[in-house]
Amino acid sequence: MLSYIIRRIGSMIPSLLLASVIVFSFIHLIPGDPAQIMLGDQATPEQVQGLREAMGLDRPLYVQYGRWLSGVVRGDFGNSIFFHQPVLDVILDRAETSIFIAVFSMLLIILVGVPIGILSAVRYNSWPDQLFSGLSMFFASVPTFWLGLNLMLLFSVIFRWLPTSGFPSILESGDWSNIRYLVLPCITLAAPNSALIIRLTRSSMLDVAKADYVKTARAKGLSEGAVNIRHIFRNSLISVVSALGFTFVALMAGTVVTETVFSLPGIGRLVVESVLRRDYPTIQGIILIIAFLYMVINLLVDLSFAILDPRIRYS
Amino acid sequence: MNKWIRTVTVLGICFLLLAAAGTAFAAEKGGMLRVAVIDEPPTLDQHVVTSDLTTMIAQHIFEGLYTFDSKYSPVPLLVKSEEIKDGGKIAVLGLREGVKFHNGKELDAEDVLASMERWGKFGARGPVLFSNLEKVEATGKYEVTLTFKAPFAPWKNLLAFMNGGPVIYPKDVASSAEKTPITPDQYIGTGPYKFAERNPGRYIKLVRNEEYAQRTEDADGYAGKREALFDEIRFIPVPDVGTRVNGVKAGDYDYAEQILGDLFDSLKDDPSVVTTVNQGANQGMMFFNSRNGVLKDNFKLRQALQASVNMEPVLQSAIGPAELWKASGSFMPETTLWYSKAGLDRFSAGNPELAKKLAKEAGYNGEKITFMASTSYKFHYDSTLVIVKQLQEAGFNIDHQIYDWATLISKRGDPTQWDIFFTHHGFVPDPILYTFMSESYPGWWTTDTKKALAAEFAGTLDETKRKEVWDKIQALVYEEVPVMKTGDHFTYDIYSPRLQGLSASSLIWPKFWGVRFK
Repeated sequence: MLSYIIRRIGSMIPSLLLASVIVFSFIHLIPGDPAQIMLGDQATPEQVQGLREAMGLDRPLYVQYGRWLSGVVRGDFGNSIFFHQPVLDVILDRAETSIFIAVFSMLLIILVGVPIGILSAVRYNSWPDQLFSGLSMFFASVPTFWLGLNLMLLFSVIFRWLPTSGFPSILESGDWSNIRYLVLPCITLAAPNSALIIRLTRSSMLDVAKADYVKTARAKGLSEGAVNIRHIFRNSLISVVSALGFTFVALMAGTVVTETVFSLPGIGRLVVESVLRRDYPTIQGIILIIAFLYMVINLLVDLSFAILDPRIRYS
Repeated sequence: MNKWIRTVTVLGICFLLLAAAGTAFAAEKGGMLRVAVIDEPPTLDQHVVTSDLTTMIAQHIFEGLYTFDSKYSPVPLLVKSEEIKDGGKIAVLGLREGVKFHNGKELDAEDVLASMERWGKFGARGPVLFSNLEKVEATGKYEVTLTFKAPFAPWKNLLAFMNGGPVIYPKDVASSAEKTPITPDQYIGTGPYKFAERNPGRYIKLVRNEEYAQRTEDADGYAGKREALFDEIRFIPVPDVGTRVNGVKAGDYDYAEQILGDLFDSLKDDPSVVTTVNQGANQGMMFFNSRNGVLKDNFKLRQALQASVNMEPVLQSAIGPAELWKASGSFMPETTLWYSKAGLDRFSAGNPELAKKLAKEAGYNGEKITFMASTSYKFHYDSTLVIVKQLQEAGFNIDHQIYDWATLISKRGDPTQWDIFFTHHGFVPDPILYTFMSESYPGWWTTDTKKALAAEFAGTLDETKRKEVWDKIQALVYEEVPVMKTGDHFTYDIYSPRLQGLSASSLIWPKFWGVRFK
């Protein structure tokens, strides 16, 4: 098991290197110039060129890549062109929001998605199953910006129970009541994802229910509850856990629409804004970290399989 | 005795009335103003960037030698006196004494000199003034002298225009700054608010400058008294327009900028918000390539393109409510002395037959015309959809290329990549600041007639004569068509009815001095 983990971690290095080369080339291949964007529409070509030189953007690409990579190896991701501060600081600033969002949304997704999924599978084709199937189809289909803005209209503008947008830092202020800023965004994010988990839990459980060992369990005279939870649910967890793993990373970095609607300073918005600003060091830094996160989560998901299913062994 | 009692009573009543009046009229200080803005500014360094968002925030921190009153006339701000000598070749500017920077240091001529020099070398609009300047000198502790190569009329307008303009930094900041923008620890000005903090993604925080040196004149436009009545102002990036509106309605923000035209009619009658229209019009502009391609030197063909388009449907579709746009062909607005009708018979003709005739005379045979536009600004894209449709109906072969803004401004630098591109231009106080007047701006309008008129325009000091030259330049724009204007459109903002002191419309950028909570 240990040697498997070490091998997997070792294989991450070439993957990360490859990801960094691809990102670096792509971002430099698309037209656009951070100096021009910063100076604005009316800057003269001489002024733009001057700033490009000052920022080191006039050097050959391989030189720029080499400098960046040697910095990364030493833990220095360079300075953000837009924010004029170290990329790592910019990312860490945003990470707080993204981690809170991802964790709270995941809790909601698990607490809502899994039990309802089990209920729908156990009561297959009953009216609760059909009701939840209909609702989950609805929530999986509505656009997040529509859901977010309507939740905001209802709970912030009409009832005034929750703030519309923004997220003052909890870590800086120590004020845990700021969590109220994340209630609507987390519901907005959890709704479509819970719907998917409901459907996935339901369909995997229905698949497993047809297996021979389930028939055996019932023939042994086990109670319906024990069959459903210990045999059907546990064996259907593999697909649910891998879906949850990837949902977590997507919630960390891919929630740009929700972050925009609720003006949250998260990683997703930072990626998109940095691309529009051509803030090369920030884009490269974030993508590398997200790629790393994907690999770690992937490894954890794979390791969890061994716990969920005793037949799976890594060596 | 009675007389004494009467006198004391009258005096007492007068005192009480005065005290009451004082309480009623004295603006109350305090509180935090929360302004929802569309994005984060790249920097607050006013010298180097022309972003309106930067100026809106930075104008509270930094000040220039001059500023504009409500009639867009340049009036002194840090300057106390001016003396014009040698037929307009020399301007001696006396500075106000006792004006302190936010770091406690007193402003003097050395600071002005260093700031002017940095702006002249690296500033966005600096070269326009400095190419006409022979020298700038500190001729006294509180005196600066500008010597021009030849009389140069727009100098005061250029000094007053904050956007990409010469605000005054302390000498040690300005003399060490070069091409790259100054850093937040160097945001030290003389304005009514001080820079306090930039929290990326969350807010930019300004706090009141308790030692602000007020001018004594009444507030008028950007001129006169600037009272900082809030303890703190936060500019919060809220990119989604629906959220900005909901945020003001819910009381999470007090002011929100740049609201969607489609929402204007409903918000205008909504008691929970107040709308304010920005009078400094934006203008949609199509730049024609004068350096390369099918439109180069072919003025007839450009006139044909110009004749094809009716601007009303363009503005209607891109902007929305009629209160927010005006199909006006004059480059300078009616409220200024520069308003001109020269050449306007060619504006917004919407005459495809005439266009076909002109195109035929120009020798046009269906060559492809590349028209670049960006989706980063919704109204750019919406405008070009209607324009392209009209051009195609008049028989032009248009290749409509859509990019994000960063790609467009990169591509337009290469004259072989395009024939027309769409952008917009903000309000400028002097026509010399129009980008099409610059020879280096993509489009590269450099005909001999234009060059001669531009030189005459810069060198004429008399206002009436300058206006006559501007009329000729505008007429030439409609003849040589280096650029096609779509019309004027006005952005609008909303704010909470709790705010007091904001005027019904803002001039160029909304300002928050003299504003307080009710």
